[in-house]
Amino acid sequence: MAKKSKRGTLVETAVLAPLDWVDERTAAVRGTKWFLFRNVPRDISWAQTLGSATLTAFIVQTLTGVILAMYYEPSSSINPTTGKPVAYSSIEAITNDLTLGWLVRGMHRWGASVFIILLFLHMGRVFLFGAYKYPRELTWITGVFILVTGMLLGFTGYLLPWDQTAYWATVVGINLNGTAPFLGPWLAQFLATGPEIGSETLAKWYSLHMLVLPGAIIGLIGVHIYLVTRLGVVSPPWSGERAGRERAEAAPTGARAGLVRGGTSGGGK
Amino acid sequence: MARDLGELNREDFARYKDDVKKEGKSFFPRALFHDTVMSLVVVCVIVALAAIWYFDADGVKSGILGPWYTEPADPATTSFVPRPDWYFYFLFYLLRIFKWPETVFIATVGIPTIALILLIGLPFYDRRRERRPSRRPVAMVAAVLTVLSMAVLTWKGATAKEALGSELVAFVPEWAQEQGFADDPQAVKGAELFAQSGCLNCHTYLGQGAGNLGAPDLSSIGQTNEATYFVRYLTNPAAFGNTVMGSYAYLGQENLDALGAFLAASKGG
Amino acid sequence: MSDASHDNPHAPGPSLWPIGFAIGVACLLLGLVLSWIIAAIGAVLAVVFGLLWARDVTREVRGEVPEIEPETRAVADEAAAPAGPPAAAPLPTYTRSRFLEASTLGISAAIGAVVTLPVLGFMVLPSFTNLEEQEADLGPLENFPEGKYVIASYFALPGGGEVSRRTVFVRYNGLVENPANQGRQEPSFTILYSRCVHLGCPVQPNGPIDEAAKKNVNGVELRPVLAQSFGCPCHGGLYDAEGNRRAGPPVRSMDRAEYSIKHGRLILGPVYAVGNVSGTGANAMISRYPWSTPGTHVDGIEAWLYPIVPTQVTG
Repeated sequence: MAKKSKRGTLVETAVLAPLDWVDERTAAVRGTKWFLFRNVPRDISWAQTLGSATLTAFIVQTLTGVILAMYYEPSSSINPTTGKPVAYSSIEAITNDLTLGWLVRGMHRWGASVFIILLFLHMGRVFLFGAYKYPRELTWITGVFILVTGMLLGFTGYLLPWDQTAYWATVVGINLNGTAPFLGPWLAQFLATGPEIGSETLAKWYSLHMLVLPGAIIGLIGVHIYLVTRLGVVSPPWSGERAGRERAEAAPTGARAGLVRGGTSGGGK
Repeated sequence: MARDLGELNREDFARYKDDVKKEGKSFFPRALFHDTVMSLVVVCVIVALAAIWYFDADGVKSGILGPWYTEPADPATTSFVPRPDWYFYFLFYLLRIFKWPETVFIATVGIPTIALILLIGLPFYDRRRERRPSRRPVAMVAAVLTVLSMAVLTWKGATAKEALGSELVAFVPEWAQEQGFADDPQAVKGAELFAQSGCLNCHTYLGQGAGNLGAPDLSSIGQTNEATYFVRYLTNPAAFGNTVMGSYAYLGQENLDALGAFLAASKGG
Repeated sequence: MSDASHDNPHAPGPSLWPIGFAIGVACLLLGLVLSWIIAAIGAVLAVVFGLLWARDVTREVRGEVPEIEPETRAVADEAAAPAGPPAAAPLPTYTRSRFLEASTLGISAAIGAVVTLPVLGFMVLPSFTNLEEQEADLGPLENFPEGKYVIASYFALPGGGEVSRRTVFVRYNGLVENPANQGRQEPSFTILYSRCVHLGCPVQPNGPIDEAAKKNVNGVELRPVLAQSFGCPCHGGLYDAEGNRRAGPPVRSMDRAEYSIKHGRLILGPVYAVGNVSGTGANAMISRYPWSTPGTHVDGIEAWLYPIVPTQVTG
């Protein structure tokens, strides 16, 4: 160990003291360390990056969505200047007039597709690895709810440009719910705020899209990540050095790893 | 042998935790490095999609990734053909498959609900400890079938065409070219009427049309009879023993003559 | 976590009253839309069952013993339980803390109810109560040629703006005798609503539109069309000239609008659902039902899937 210079010690203290102060009161530093400096199986690799990639796509959606909300106006009444609906005109303005508006809208629009694709790929990976099995059942279930909420976010966001595609896709979507036995017609009428899509529908869906559903999905993602951190990531099940493999005869860790082939497959039943 | 599933599961997980602790690698930076690289790729893809979408399209003019927006919402339209966003294509096509009124709610809520329940319940009905795909034939076959059917439904949904006047009129020059009546204005007018008047809701013509109610293909109908015969047939199909097809006398004599000329000119390309 | 860490829970004994309470609240909310009688019954049910429930929950506090014992734990667990640290001697304030528990729960429930009920009500109820019934004026009768369809697009709500624009297909069936009105000759119309009864897509008339004869009367756009069938652009629904299903998934015949004639003008009334139409034009026998969401059956055995639909006006 090299001897630390006096200045180095000073800097260290200047950085660490406030961190210690915060940690003493919140355990935030301990929490971050728990998250970052935990061990994961030695054989995990690119396949396990799909979850964090999905999270990245979601963060892109959050950031771009917040910015878009600063310029978008959820109103179906006619803008007297353009002669078009206010919502549609604000989308036109974001895309055509406002500096870099096209990029942020484009990122939000395509980020949604990327987010959904990554959700499905991530789910496929988890299925392939059997990673939904004990003790990670709840992780899987929160994941399914994230998928559903994500698709609902896509569906509610689809209406907002208030163009023909948006309007009619939403009509069909609302009526899909309307065909559910017993309560369907009530649900459809609630979603449209009346028998048909009207002026209140857009504001309601805007509120769902940027308050209700994001709140729900952020909570679900939080639980999901906590569970993943707590329970760990599984190794590829075919890997010879996977964590948790069964040993031939209580052999010391690492011995004859490749020969064991996972052992008793019938033992599960 | 006497040990139950829960016990074995707990043993597995204890061994997993032990292995990760002893043999694992640190999440930061060894696993997180992969994650960040993947996230960079995701962000780049999103920005690239946004850029391609923006620079290839222009307003309502569609580029390779679709238009910036379509026309403003028009709740009174009689010419718009609604389509959902790509990740709902499978559901869209499912709705076209279930084309019997009695089965509508099976496609709208039945199948999606069952799929969701199966998805949520997965960790509870697949309780075996086995994770290796090669030892989970049922799960793997089910997964492959699901992916295949979703892919097929999405593809069919993306390419689905409707036998509607607003779309079919665009085919008239192609038909005129293929059947060789491009220089016969009456036949061309008849072709436009043929496209607009719902004939292709039941009939097929040069690969277009829905083929409902067992109606025949008309691509080479001109080989069988001449224009005056078709005019008489269209005026009163019942007189020719056809009780399925309605009379088209309401189109007026001039239009019927045009249709007759078109049908007579359809010699089968 | 070992099972021994579970202390003897203070959860109240099982009670069936919450179900009755829930039914009462549901009845109350439903009644606000349907009728005041149902609402009153719901309110009474909710109060009665609410009181019974409260009585049940507080029974322990009041020192009564519930008649149903909570489920007991398995023998193995009970054996393990005493292994924990010896329970401290009960403190004299024991009953009082029980009371605090119960009242904390009760007060929280009251706060929850006061905050969430108005919010939930305001979220849900306006969709069913604040519906304006409006009549739309489609203009003079002369604009509708006999036996031909006219595509009429109009504003369903006068101040509703572009979002309330709707389309109907109007066919004038000529003058017919009305036996109800001393056999007087009255104009008859077939008025089909343009939304597909499968999932609400915009139905298109199968025929050439006469754009040259397009008229615009006070914001109502009229376009004659040579069509005796209608097709849906989404999932292949096909209707005949009377709006009956001929192919595809539509679950009933096309919706129709009521109409009346005032001062020689065609006035549109509410839209209603149609099970089936037999006959044509002025002589058509229409099996009519209250309007319901597209995709819901109104007749046949499937109709039991949708026993109660919201009371409707369509605008």
